[in-house]
Amino acid sequence: MAAIAAERYTGASIKRSEDQRILTGAGRYVDDIKLPGMLHAAFVRSPLAHARVLSVDVTAARALPGVVAAFTGAELEEMTVPGPDALVALLGGAGPTPEFTLLATDKVRFAGDPVAIVIAESRYVAEDGCEIVEVGYDELPPVTNASFALDPGSPPLFANLGNNIARPHSRSEFGDVFATFADADRVMDFRIEVHRHQNVPMEGRGCVASYDAGLGVMTVCAATQSVHVSKIAVAMRLGIEQDKVRVLAGDVGGSFGLKIGASREELAVAAASRAVGRPVKWVEDRGENLTASGQAREESFDVRAAVSNDGDLLGLDVKMVIDTGSYPGMGTMVPATVEAMLPGPYKLAALGFESTAVTTNKAPYVAYRGPWASETFVRERVLDLIAKDLGLQPLEIRLRNVAPRTDPPSMMITGRPLAGVTTRESLERLAQVVDFPAFRRRQAEARARGRYLGIGVATFIEAAPGPRSPEGPTGPLGTESMRLRLEEDGIVALFTGQMPHGQSHQTTLAQIAADEFGVPFEQVHVVAGDTDVVPFGLTGGSRSATMAGGVALHGARQLKAKVLDFASHLMEASPRDLQITDGRVWVRGDPASAIAVAEVARRAASGQFGSGVDAHLEVEATFDGGEGGWSGGSHCAIVEVDAETGIVTVERYVVAEDCGALINPAIVEGQIRGGVAQGIGAVLLERSAYDEDGNCQSATFMDYLVPTACDIPRIEIEHLETVVLDADVNFRGVGEGGMIVAPPTVVNAIEDALSPFGVRIYEQHLPPARILELVAAGS
Amino acid sequence: MVDITLRINGATCTGSPEARKTLADFLRDDLNLTGTHLGCEHGVCGACTVIVDGRAVRSCLMLAVQAAGSEVTTIEGLAPDGGLGTLQQAMWDSHSFQCGFCTPGFVMQAVAFLGDHPDAGEQQIREALSGNICRCTGYQSIIDGVLLAAERNRER
Repeated sequence: MAAIAAERYTGASIKRSEDQRILTGAGRYVDDIKLPGMLHAAFVRSPLAHARVLSVDVTAARALPGVVAAFTGAELEEMTVPGPDALVALLGGAGPTPEFTLLATDKVRFAGDPVAIVIAESRYVAEDGCEIVEVGYDELPPVTNASFALDPGSPPLFANLGNNIARPHSRSEFGDVFATFADADRVMDFRIEVHRHQNVPMEGRGCVASYDAGLGVMTVCAATQSVHVSKIAVAMRLGIEQDKVRVLAGDVGGSFGLKIGASREELAVAAASRAVGRPVKWVEDRGENLTASGQAREESFDVRAAVSNDGDLLGLDVKMVIDTGSYPGMGTMVPATVEAMLPGPYKLAALGFESTAVTTNKAPYVAYRGPWASETFVRERVLDLIAKDLGLQPLEIRLRNVAPRTDPPSMMITGRPLAGVTTRESLERLAQVVDFPAFRRRQAEARARGRYLGIGVATFIEAAPGPRSPEGPTGPLGTESMRLRLEEDGIVALFTGQMPHGQSHQTTLAQIAADEFGVPFEQVHVVAGDTDVVPFGLTGGSRSATMAGGVALHGARQLKAKVLDFASHLMEASPRDLQITDGRVWVRGDPASAIAVAEVARRAASGQFGSGVDAHLEVEATFDGGEGGWSGGSHCAIVEVDAETGIVTVERYVVAEDCGALINPAIVEGQIRGGVAQGIGAVLLERSAYDEDGNCQSATFMDYLVPTACDIPRIEIEHLETVVLDADVNFRGVGEGGMIVAPPTVVNAIEDALSPFGVRIYEQHLPPARILELVAAGS
Repeated sequence: MVDITLRINGATCTGSPEARKTLADFLRDDLNLTGTHLGCEHGVCGACTVIVDGRAVRSCLMLAVQAAGSEVTTIEGLAPDGGLGTLQQAMWDSHSFQCGFCTPGFVMQAVAFLGDHPDAGEQQIREALSGNICRCTGYQSIIDGVLLAAERNRER
């Protein structure tokens, strides 16, 4: 058995099958598509944050040589079907439905809001056309922050809402909040803020839309996390039957939550393509990406913590306000997840949680890698603030509060079982890998020389996919499907609804299926990105390791059983005596009997078998997540803060994580490091900034700073032995955890470094200028 | 339109781009060399890096007409037989990339840098690649790929 186990692809850092094309410039991203007769789109965008649109004159643009068409927002409304944002409609939303048009019609609601689209022979000419579209505006007072939005006197962005509340205030209580606070030794108050920042994939949004009027078929090639979610939006908004919309995707250059479904601009491009009868391409430029694609976070939390004198965090009472920007949608759904996740892996006895979502004149809220991540920031910040007051070490307070691993598992006060959660083990591993006492000695020596080192720890858990709940999966994303087929040439084809955009599914799903079916890795091909052939699915929410990995495993098992059933007729043996290894079917104990699976498939396709034999070597598998489970772990950062310049250097970064069984360690580690890098960037560099008039101040890569190779240290990763929960599928998602826990890890380290100045930190964005302010205020 | 002649990936090319057309757009639109990617079009992200007369250049900041008479190498020209060059192979072995959009720029920047600095260490490589942005990886796997390529180059 040992020899066979060593030959498994699953668990090995198999080199990616995506890389041959990616490393040679042969990847096929949406901007690489050229169709005959293809035109190019560009958008006229509002320079104002909040204004009435008095007039839009596209006459001069239409007359420009090379311009084929130009449409105003009002014209586009006539060409499309009105309705709410398609993604919000699909997910159910969480609040009143604001007015929603593809392009602005009567009002613009953020600087960058599209008001007209120009279609031309080249992008250059389309942009020339945009320059000469005349738009008349009547400026309105901008609503640029949550506190103004909460003011009933603030001018409403959406007339049909009547105010700027995107999701009304609500409050929930878990446990006995009143008694917990009444009995606590101390009650501490904090206001914690998380700033606005954003996804910034290296490839922006984009699509090529092409309408065949004869067939009535709209084909859209898109950069998307889900071809099916994009398709639903196109069908709804263009009023086309779903079977006549086909969405394709090739290589997608990153997303991190941005490219779920079709954006307003992509839908406008599809409508324009239908109107002009030619293919139209639009790929956003970086300015559009930074100002108009969407932004994330920007939340405030008024926190009360009930604490014992020994350092037990007994209860939290939290008031959250989220600024969802304009065109509220996804952001209104975030507070519910923040509430559910706020207890984390800790034995909190009570939680009060209230939240309000507001709309403001800034770019719309979009999902960004761990959209609910602020729960971890708040909780891990609060723990350190308590530890500082009580004189406890960061590991000490966490080990004291973490829920014990019991059978049956401890329950989060918000209701989910902490099945298989190994937070304690991850903290203990950090203590083994990082010599905390030695660091404290080094820190003291450095301080004596005027150098400020700090250490920070934070932990997280992530529902990736989460523990099995008695009610079972809910909603359209609750199960995962896959079609698997043994092709006549012996290729095992996996048709997946996953839409990889960096996650390496072409490699990882093939590893799992190759092991389970019994063929070489190269003999499994993963097909994605075509609504006509792949089942519904979405890559996001760190769900694919379990859900797609699981359906690949079970689907390959089902396909294998089917192939063996058929082969039993060929080989005159019981299916129970047959096995598949290395791409060949053979009778156990008789290697001479082996025939290639390709031969079996050819015979099946020959039609020589009667109706009593199932020769259809294809299965449609579904998987509900099995026993599921949590991903999680603890991170530790050691930083040096230069108190003269405010510059923070991350000297060392250690991850102790548990994502269950690793499918491909190198790919898992890449996901973790990438997430940590984004978290470090969020703290030290990145901010989607607006001035008081609502102008976006971070419209280029010279203003929106993302980390480079000099900003991110080597990241050490320790994988924990997992708790096996499921008989077959113990892979858990790892996409979001790094980004969720790195911000509190780094901020905790910075606060520790600045403790000689008495600094307490209640915010997430700490660029040099802010560090200097904190130092000055502290000393 | 301006008539230009230049050498691209070892072959002589002629074209008539608009004077305002960037080298990147000329490569992608006129010559179908779509391996060169555009990540910011303002010279910061490095995705569009190509080698012009031996030097790494941001093709979004250079006009096509400025490249007239030059020798240009793009990602497609690194290993013309469709295989992988030493650096590309090392990057494959190191799991260097994820979504792949920044990849051509990193590869071209690193090829140019290693050509001039075959003995570069990690910190030098990090600095040399600090003008290229990758949003997926946290850079470590890319740096490891370049270090591995440098080591293999030295062993040859």
